[in-house]
Amino acid sequence: MILSLKVPRQIAVSVLIVTVFLIPGLCLAQTSELEAIRGIVKNLEQQLQKALERIDQLEKEKASTSARVGNVEKSVQAVQSAPSSFNPAIGMVLDASVDHRAKAGGDFNFRAAELGFSASVDPFARVYSFMTGSREGFEVEEAAAITTSLPWNLTAKGGRFFADFGRLPKNHPHEYAFVNTPLSIERMVGGESKADGVEINYLFPIPFFLRATLGGYNKIGEENERLDDTKSRAWSRFTYLGRLQTYFDVTDHQSIELGTSLAYTPSIRVPGDPVGGDRTLGGVDLTYRYQPLDSTTYQGLTIGSELFTNSERVMRSDDVFRRRQAFGGYSYAELKLNKSWSTGFLFDYAPSIESPGKKTLSYSPFLTWNISEFNRLRFQYSYLDDKVREDKAERGNQFFLQWTTVIGAHTHGFRGR
Amino acid sequence: MKKFLLYKKLGLVVLSFALAWLQSDVLFAQQIRVVATWPALADLTRQIGKDLVSVDSLATGVEDPHGVPMKPSFVPRLNRADVLVLIGLDDELSWLPGLQEVASNPKILPGQRGYIDCSVGIPVAEAARVLDRAEGDLHPKGNPHYLLDPVYTKIAAQNIAAGLSRSFPQHQATFEKNLKAYITELDSWIARWEKLTAPLKGVKFVEYHQEWVYFANRYGLKRIGAVELKPGIEPTPNHIVNLVQQIKQEKPQVLLYGAQNPRVPQQIASETGIKVLRLYSSSGGRAETDTYIKWIDYTVRTLVQAVGQA
Repeated sequence: MILSLKVPRQIAVSVLIVTVFLIPGLCLAQTSELEAIRGIVKNLEQQLQKALERIDQLEKEKASTSARVGNVEKSVQAVQSAPSSFNPAIGMVLDASVDHRAKAGGDFNFRAAELGFSASVDPFARVYSFMTGSREGFEVEEAAAITTSLPWNLTAKGGRFFADFGRLPKNHPHEYAFVNTPLSIERMVGGESKADGVEINYLFPIPFFLRATLGGYNKIGEENERLDDTKSRAWSRFTYLGRLQTYFDVTDHQSIELGTSLAYTPSIRVPGDPVGGDRTLGGVDLTYRYQPLDSTTYQGLTIGSELFTNSERVMRSDDVFRRRQAFGGYSYAELKLNKSWSTGFLFDYAPSIESPGKKTLSYSPFLTWNISEFNRLRFQYSYLDDKVREDKAERGNQFFLQWTTVIGAHTHGFRGR
Repeated sequence: MKKFLLYKKLGLVVLSFALAWLQSDVLFAQQIRVVATWPALADLTRQIGKDLVSVDSLATGVEDPHGVPMKPSFVPRLNRADVLVLIGLDDELSWLPGLQEVASNPKILPGQRGYIDCSVGIPVAEAARVLDRAEGDLHPKGNPHYLLDPVYTKIAAQNIAAGLSRSFPQHQATFEKNLKAYITELDSWIARWEKLTAPLKGVKFVEYHQEWVYFANRYGLKRIGAVELKPGIEPTPNHIVNLVQQIKQEKPQVLLYGAQNPRVPQQIASETGIKVLRLYSSSGGRAETDTYIKWIDYTVRTLVQAVGQA
C-alpha cells in the first residue's frame, strides 16, 4: 500500500518539478511570440486606420468635387433659364455728414447716394455708370462705355465720365482722404472733372508706366460756367485735353507718381464778353507713397499735391484784350496709424479766377476711422482764411463728421487706388 | 538739298532705333512671358515651363493677400504678358481687375486663353452659405488659400500646364513631361510631409485670418478660433477677451498669423502663454522659402517643431 502510494507521489513530484521549471520557459517562449503577434496586429491596426482615414479624405474630396460640379451644373441651368443672370454688378455708396460752419450754421448734409452699375457689354467693351442722388436731385454722374480689346495699347472711352484731368478731380468725393473737395478744384476745374465726350488712352510699350490721354468734351467740370454744354455750337467752343502720367518705384516700399494735364478751350463764354477768348487750364500732380509691403493694411504714408494754372483771354472795357492768370492748388498728407485709423492734414490755396488777387486759404486736419473696408467715419476741422468773400460758408471755423458706407459691388478701378 | 537728305537719313536711323527699342523683346526674346500674381504660382509655372518661360510675380510673398497695392508699375508687366496665372476664387479681387482695366492686354482678360485660374477643379472649402457682409469680408466662391494643401497644388499645377498648352500648343508635350516630373517630385515630398506631420494630428490651433483650413484638413489639425472678429474685420476688445478665455479653456498649442500685425497675437500670447508663429500664405515671404516645396517644407517643420516645444 505504501509502495502503491509512493509511485503516484513520485509522479506528482515529477509533475511539480516539470511545472515549476519547464512551464515558465514554455510560457516565456509563448509570451515573446504573443508580443510579436501583438506588434503585428498593432501595426496592421495602424495601417488600417491610415487606410480608413485616407478613404474618408478621398470620400470628402469626392463629395466636395461632386458638390462643386453640381453647383456648376445648377449655375449653368440658372443662366440658361434666367436672363437676369447677366445683370450688372450693382453697388451703392451712402455719404452723409453733420456739418457746422461758424459763419453759416449747422447742417445734416445728405451729400450723396451713389448707385453704381458695371458689366461687360460683349468681348469688345464694358460699361459702367454712377448715378447720384443728393439734395440737388438725381443725376447721371458717369455712364461710359470703354473698349477692352483695341490693338496698339489703345483704349477708347465715350459717354459721360470724369475726364482724365489731374489726379483728384477725376475721383468721386467719397474717395478722398478728407471730407470736402478742395476749393482750388472747385474754383479752377469746376468741381469734379465731369464731362460729356470721348477719350483715347495710350499705354506706352516700355518697361515703366507711361500713359497718355487725348480727349474732346463739351466742357470739363460740372460747375464750370464758361461753356454751355446743353446745345450745339462751333467746335471751337469745346474743350480738348492732353495728359501724361508716369510712375516709378523708388524702392519696394516707396513710389512716386507724376502727371501733367492741359485742357484747352479755343473760345469760352465769359460774362460781359460777347466775343470770348481762349482758356488754358493746366495741372501738375505729384504723389509720394510709402507702403511697406509686409504691412500695407497697417502702415502707410501718402503725400499728394496738385497745382493748377488758369489762363484765359478776356476783354477789358476799352475793347482791349488781356490775359487773366490764376494759380492755385492743394497739398495733403495722410498717415495710416493702424488697420482702422489714419490721420492727416490738408492745405488748400484757392484763388478766385475772376479776381486772381483774391484767394481763400484753408487748413484742415482730419482723423479717419475705418470700421471695416465698407464702413468709415471721418472727423475734420477746417479753418478758412477767405479774402474772396463770395460765400459765407467758405470762411472761418468749420467742423465735419462724415459717415460713408458701401453696399454691394463698388469699385472705381484703377483711378480709385 | 544735301542737308535735307542728311536730316532724312538721320531721322530714319533714329526711327529704326526707336522701333527696335520698343520691339526689342519681340526681336530678341523667344520665351513665353508669364505674369503670376503670387511667387508660389510663379515657381509652379517655372517648374512646368522650364526654359520656355520667363516668369514674373507681382506680389513678393510678404503681402497680406487682401492688401496687395495696385501699383502702376505692374501695368507694363501685365501689358507684355502672354499668360496670367492667378489663385482665383476672388483672392486677387481687390487689386488685379483694376490693373487689367488699364493694361491694354485682351489676352489675359477673364475667359481668354492667357488667363489661367488655378482654382478650377479645387474642392473648395468654406464656400459661404449666406452671402452677407454682416459675416465679414467673405469670399463668395470659398476660401482661396488652397495652396497650403500640397495635394490640391497638384490640381493647380495641372491647370497651369493645361493653360500654357492652350496658348502654346506646340509645346504641349514639353509642358506635360515637366508636369509629370514635378508631380512625381511633389508626391515624394507629400509622402515625407505625411510622416513628418504625424505629431500635428489633433493639434488645436488659433489663426489670425481664415487661411489654414486646407492645411488643417490635410494634416488633421483642429481650428478652435480666429483673432479676427469675422473674416477681414479687426478684433474688438470684447472679442479678444473672449478668445483669451477660450484659449485658456481649450488650450490650443499654437496661434498662427501671416502678413497681419503681430501686436494682437503677442498680446494674446502674453495673457495665455500660447506659442505664436508667423507663417506666410505664399512662398517668397522668407528668403529660405523661395520655391513652393521649400515653403511647405518650412511651414511643416516649423509647425512640428513648435508643437513639440509647446
